[in-house]
Amino acid sequence: MNAFQYTTAASPAGARELVGDDGLYLGGGIDVLGRVKEYLDEPKILVNIKLLPGLDKIEPGTAAWLIGANVTVSQIEEHPGLKSAFPALQQAAAEVGSKQIRNVATVGGNLAQHSRCWYYRHRDVHCLKKGGDTCYARNGENKYHSLFTGNPCISPVVSNLAVALAALDATVIVQRGDNSLRMSLAEFYAKAWDNPTAHHSLEHGDLISKIEVPVRPWRSAYIQVSEKSMFDWALVSCAASAKVENGVIRQARVVLGAISNVPHQVQAANDFLEGKSLDEASAAKAADLIIEKAQVHSQNGYKVPLARALIKRALLQLG
Amino acid sequence: MPGWPEDRKFIGSHAKRVDAPVKVSGAAKYASDVQPEGWLYGMILRSKWAKAKITRINLDKAAKIPGIKAAILLREGERTVRYYGEELAAVAGTTKQACLDALRVIEVEAKPLPFVVREEDAREESSPRVWDDHPNLSEPHVNEKGEVDKAFAECATVVEGFYTTPVQLHHPLEPHGNTISCTDEGITAWASTQGISSVQDSLSSNLNVPQSKVRVLTEYMGGGFGAKFGAGVEGALAARLSQSAKAPVKIMLTRFDEALAVGNRPSSFQKIKLGAAADGKLLAFELESYGTAGLGSAGSSEGGGGGAGFPAPYIYRVPNIRVKQSGVTINAGSARAFRAPGHPTASFGMESIMDDLAAKMNMDPVELRLKNDPSEVRRKEYQLGAERFGWKEKFRKPGSAPGPVKTGVGCAGATWGGGGHGTQAEAQIGPDGSVEIRCGTQDLGTGTRTVIALIAADLLGLKPEQIVVRIGDTRFPPSGGSGGSTTCASVSPAIYDVCTKALEELQKQSGVPDARGANWMPACKKLGVNPLLVSGRWQTGLSSSGAGGVQFAEVEVDIETGFVKARKITCVQDGGLIVSKLTCESQINGGILMGLGYALYEERIMDRSTGVVLNPNFETYKLVALADIPEIDILLLDMPERGVIGIGEPVTIPTAAAVANAVANALGTRVTSLPITPAKVLSALSKAGGPVVL
Repeated sequence: MNAFQYTTAASPAGARELVGDDGLYLGGGIDVLGRVKEYLDEPKILVNIKLLPGLDKIEPGTAAWLIGANVTVSQIEEHPGLKSAFPALQQAAAEVGSKQIRNVATVGGNLAQHSRCWYYRHRDVHCLKKGGDTCYARNGENKYHSLFTGNPCISPVVSNLAVALAALDATVIVQRGDNSLRMSLAEFYAKAWDNPTAHHSLEHGDLISKIEVPVRPWRSAYIQVSEKSMFDWALVSCAASAKVENGVIRQARVVLGAISNVPHQVQAANDFLEGKSLDEASAAKAADLIIEKAQVHSQNGYKVPLARALIKRALLQLG
Repeated sequence: MPGWPEDRKFIGSHAKRVDAPVKVSGAAKYASDVQPEGWLYGMILRSKWAKAKITRINLDKAAKIPGIKAAILLREGERTVRYYGEELAAVAGTTKQACLDALRVIEVEAKPLPFVVREEDAREESSPRVWDDHPNLSEPHVNEKGEVDKAFAECATVVEGFYTTPVQLHHPLEPHGNTISCTDEGITAWASTQGISSVQDSLSSNLNVPQSKVRVLTEYMGGGFGAKFGAGVEGALAARLSQSAKAPVKIMLTRFDEALAVGNRPSSFQKIKLGAAADGKLLAFELESYGTAGLGSAGSSEGGGGGAGFPAPYIYRVPNIRVKQSGVTINAGSARAFRAPGHPTASFGMESIMDDLAAKMNMDPVELRLKNDPSEVRRKEYQLGAERFGWKEKFRKPGSAPGPVKTGVGCAGATWGGGGHGTQAEAQIGPDGSVEIRCGTQDLGTGTRTVIALIAADLLGLKPEQIVVRIGDTRFPPSGGSGGSTTCASVSPAIYDVCTKALEELQKQSGVPDARGANWMPACKKLGVNPLLVSGRWQTGLSSSGAGGVQFAEVEVDIETGFVKARKITCVQDGGLIVSKLTCESQINGGILMGLGYALYEERIMDRSTGVVLNPNFETYKLVALADIPEIDILLLDMPERGVIGIGEPVTIPTAAAVANAVANALGTRVTSLPITPAKVLSALSKAGGPVVL
């Protein structure tokens, strides 16, 4: 890494000012420090935001829970009430990295992390995502890559929490200058769909402050499959939530991770599930709708049957 | 004729590792821990091109970075680099950051040249040649005997398959590296090495300093697996930087470097045909294979030196065989010997097709092996292992296990030579009763220090903690490199010899007829002022070679997600006289885990268009972790009459084949390519007509 300055911010406005045009925020640092070490980012200053007041708490509520951006992934994993309120979120947190990583990584950092594509992460490969002109994965090593994209880059979004939060209709509250923006998870990643160099929709200097998760009488579940038993990225992940009464599905959300540069959600599938009975047949039909437009590359075709299996299992877990 | 004592208290016991406390407390000093006065960090600039003509390298800016004390080229003048990661230059400085900054400002003028990094591409005549003077695909090494075509025609059953194995990286947890101090008095090197004497030799010749002035120290080290013999390019560069900066220089490679330039296990692509008579007796075998050992590929070495060849038809004796093996050169780092070179590769291909044959003949795979395995030891091991593992109860017709998560079982066998070589040792007995054993071997982490202490304790009638073991210093009597599973069988007889002689001498000088145990202190007191110093050497009759082993694997495969979970490995291993049971079992655990990594997770991935290694880290080069570890059940055949035999290598050989066979048994179709990832399982199932949930 290059040498950089380090400072600690006391307020969101101060943080914005300190980060300037060529600084980065430092939360848990799991993603940022890796990028800086590999010269993927060369910030002049790192602004520690861990001491910003009020952002390190999980605040249960009757209408919605608020989760501060500096809450660690471990805090989510271990929060006793959260597990019953939002099982998908707890399960997604429990699958992040290793325990050591979860103890340090924050919710904000997990959502804002950059692509894990091995071309993007390689110090000597200048790929499309870094502003180059080629997505090497398209005709190269793409077993971990996307089935869906709106641009030539096929690196997928890998945040576990994003997948679960999308299925829970959560809102990301972002401080942009003096304004507080409310973004759905779809909005939070929309820019990555169109723009090959984007990882999310945040602009430089934007600061995630909290995540709002609405409380509804829904069940939810998250599952992922990786190559290893633990401490590995999802090959495909799936979160589902719905209100299930007498075996009938209402207001379903099915979201997949690691197959698109945004959390992959197909409204037609959610609509289809409305009023259907919770069984393998409805799950299979929903999976058809979710996967039907998949663009398979040379090495990632297996993600199609894998996604189907996870959609079925996540939905059936709601029963 | 020497012989191991009948009465063994510590030899063969579960006695603790003598160096466990210093290792777990961090007091043990590894090459990277050593901090001689005034030491500098050293770092290496590597090629960013898979192939290029390097016309000029300008170190001026690097030398001017504050803190930089030396900047050197690997060699002067124009040169061609032939893989991404090849060493170009090196710097030494007072901080890590200074070195990193210096590497970034070195100007390299290079003319990129066409390259090829994939075996299947490189073997095409139209591909760029790695070396101008010879094609990438070597002339095949051919071995033919009997009448193969005629024999196949007479076989009741013939099976064919194409089996592939990836390039596996050594990735010792302690990376390659040295701390080296060059002064007018000579060279001192703290090396992470499997051979202190070979490092001494290579530093001496590289720097033209007499061996008498080169001292190499390896008190503790964190794994080698065959890739840490000489000083390496990184050692030579550290020494030259030290000369230039007039200060000790430490170059420890990074995990990134480890993936590029310090060895690997060659890949293999094996087209095999196997035929048997109606009773299952093997009659004909044909293999055509290629694989890459990287930059300097050799097809005909049977894998011993890290070449792409391997023994075939491995442990079986088939009367009619035709074997054609080639090596394919690619623009990638060279292979080096890797724990049982050639054998895991050979085992995977051969044992896979054995199970394919068994399936086609509707025969139990263990029965097929009992019928064909020429080794009496292994046949016995198959019988003992099958009983212990519950083979008869667990084995089902391939693909017939119920449910979406199917269980399957498989087995495979292995052989290894090993054996001992001329080691010397000395024992110093103090008048105060203290015992110091000195031997110029090194402990890779396998437990050599413990082995020495246990033997000395038994022979002298003392406790292991009373023995001070000093190893890893070229000033001690020489032993040789730790490779080929030879260390235990080399060192143990020398320790036996020196301890036997020391006891005799002590008894003679003290007049105490049996100085062991309670008589030890009184006998030593009679030595007077000077300690007793006795030399000993390796003797025949105390060690031997040839270790057979078999393993059984039980797996679960989720046929909807392709996820494979290893549930149990049963290992039955012959290791002659076991010296240290704890460290022996630890070696077996480690070998099995490495084999499991080869089966399910590990693979170096090269990128065709850029020529880089895409997974130079533990994020995407996947190693077995705690959660992946199955139950491991070990049965050691107790054959003390055979003497000491090393087992470090044989125990890693059959794991991947056994696991692959278990997966095939679960699925009813075979994943023919290692590692067996969810992607490959789902792909194999889709080719076989999709998942079948019974």
